Amino acid sequence: MSLFLASLGFGIVTAAIIAVAGVGMSLQFGVTNFVNFAFGDFMTVGMYLALVFASGLGLTVYQVVPLVVVTTGLLGVVTNRLVLAPFTRREASPIILLVVTIGVSMVIQSGLLAAWGSHFQRLPRARAQPLHLGPFLVTPWQLGVVAIAVVVMVSVHVLLRYSRLGKAMRAMADRRSLARVVGLRTARLTDWAWFISTALAGLAGVVLAIDSTTFTPFTGFGFLLVIFAAVVVGGIGKPYGAMLGALIVGIVTSLAASYLDSAYKDAVAFGVLILVLMLRTEGIFASRGRD
Amino acid sequence: MAGVAFYATSLAILACIYGIIVTGLNVQWGFAGILNFGVAAFVAIGAYTYGLVTLGPPPAGSNESYILGLQAPFLIGLLAAAVAGGVTSWLLGAVALRRVRSDYLAITTLAFSQIVWVIAGNETWLVNGWDGLAGIPRPFNEVLELSYGTYDLFFLALCLVVLAAVTAMAEVMLRAPFGRILRGVREDALIVASFGRNATSLRLRAFVTGSVMASIGGALLAAYVGAFNPSAFLAGETFVVWTALLIGGPGNTLGALLGAIVVPVVLTEGTRFLPHVTTNSQFIEALRYFTIGVVLILVLRFRPQGLLPERPRTHERAPWSSRWRGGARNERSGGNPPHA
Repeated sequence: MSLFLASLGFGIVTAAIIAVAGVGMSLQFGVTNFVNFAFGDFMTVGMYLALVFASGLGLTVYQVVPLVVVTTGLLGVVTNRLVLAPFTRREASPIILLVVTIGVSMVIQSGLLAAWGSHFQRLPRARAQPLHLGPFLVTPWQLGVVAIAVVVMVSVHVLLRYSRLGKAMRAMADRRSLARVVGLRTARLTDWAWFISTALAGLAGVVLAIDSTTFTPFTGFGFLLVIFAAVVVGGIGKPYGAMLGALIVGIVTSLAASYLDSAYKDAVAFGVLILVLMLRTEGIFASRGRD
Repeated sequence: MAGVAFYATSLAILACIYGIIVTGLNVQWGFAGILNFGVAAFVAIGAYTYGLVTLGPPPAGSNESYILGLQAPFLIGLLAAAVAGGVTSWLLGAVALRRVRSDYLAITTLAFSQIVWVIAGNETWLVNGWDGLAGIPRPFNEVLELSYGTYDLFFLALCLVVLAAVTAMAEVMLRAPFGRILRGVREDALIVASFGRNATSLRLRAFVTGSVMASIGGALLAAYVGAFNPSAFLAGETFVVWTALLIGGPGNTLGALLGAIVVPVVLTEGTRFLPHVTTNSQFIEALRYFTIGVVLILVLRFRPQGLLPERPRTHERAPWSSRWRGGARNERSGGNPPHA
């Protein structure tokens, strides 16, 4: 029972990280209609930026978070403008754009590998005493991760529901051509979607680095498939679905890590993914997919 | 001088093996539009199966452990690799191809590839874990008793025979009615379905054919290198194969072969001669993947049809006339850029 509760606690922390990443990926997919296979690598960029800012400027881990978020967000906009926008202007198919993001992923991964090598890196963080919180034993860092995730979820909700930008992005996700007809600037909205999406990727990267303590240039790409699992389970392109998907995948993988073998926790996530694909074709929040 | 010839032979062998694997992806993506991101997994399945079937049982007293160890001859090993690739791809395809959406297929195949990787690494009893298989016998080595360099020439001939067979099969598929329907599925699966053909079953057949080719390539790789472990089939390998196909020309059989020469051999082996400028031991490897990623983006941006574009085909035109009229059409419309 205590093992179950402990892994449930870990599951919620993992779910918090997946949720931040999954919401970011879903938001971008909804607006641009192609899967970004470089999303995990933007997370890795966030981790290395945090390392640079923390050691270069002597800031604490929590102080570097806003810097990392803004920088990865801007890098996302630059990537969109430089690499992907020419394809969008030519109206290339989403599949071609997906393959282009593979190229972006290879460039980022190998760039980080060239600069830092594949040694394990870690963010400087103070040792913290675990706290007893009801049945859970948690560290303040884990509480911080969950708190960040909650703030992100609420902000994304407010953004999508109440702001002009969020409404415009939802309109574009619904039907791009119609959004353009009513005068929305789709190119600028795409920039915003990339900014928010990759900023969230950077944030998710830092919290993942805080939670799992070590990282390499490949950490984000490895995590990508877990995010995919959550996003597909919740219905791709649906930020609210991604939150639920994150919770399911986070808890299932943590239980699997405790009861099976921790090497298989990602494999279990893909098992969930394949199961959902077989049972419900468009994820749990089913709606008509766009091709 | 002998060293140069030896090195050239090894590059040619590498190009042949990549040619087989890239042709397999061409059948899947170029012909049928299937977004398979699990190429490396099928290469691995072929390589491991070949190793397990041709190796003897793990020697007593060693800390190696793997299943089978049948000491079977080369052809049985090759056949077993093809069957293993066929069966696993059929099982995966039967689940993943039921859905039309390509992005989900890409995710599922990449996930499959990771699962195979994790299992191969962690289940030590199966294929000796992260250390992998070693001492995989070279085909006909005992019978021929050739010197090391001469044997490589023999192996190159063997690879060329297999490559020729695989390429011929792909070309026949491309020209046959089956290939025409596959292109129909690629362009619009709904139209094919409305003519009463089962698009999923057609895609499944193309998926299995391509995966069998990848497994055969994997078997030859294991036979040539003599060893195989999980570090040989990281996800990055899949994208090297992808870049090769996209540069060469998806949908064109010769394009796939050209891509197999350009990417793995020129880009990967070409960097071997770069001076080591930093102390970072992975700098050169990183530079390779960096170049391949940049080339991938540039090709899709500026020459999406590849170096050798797919030849436009219409059924009323004879093949010999399509060849020289097709050239003019390529200039004007850029051929049939698939899926653009």
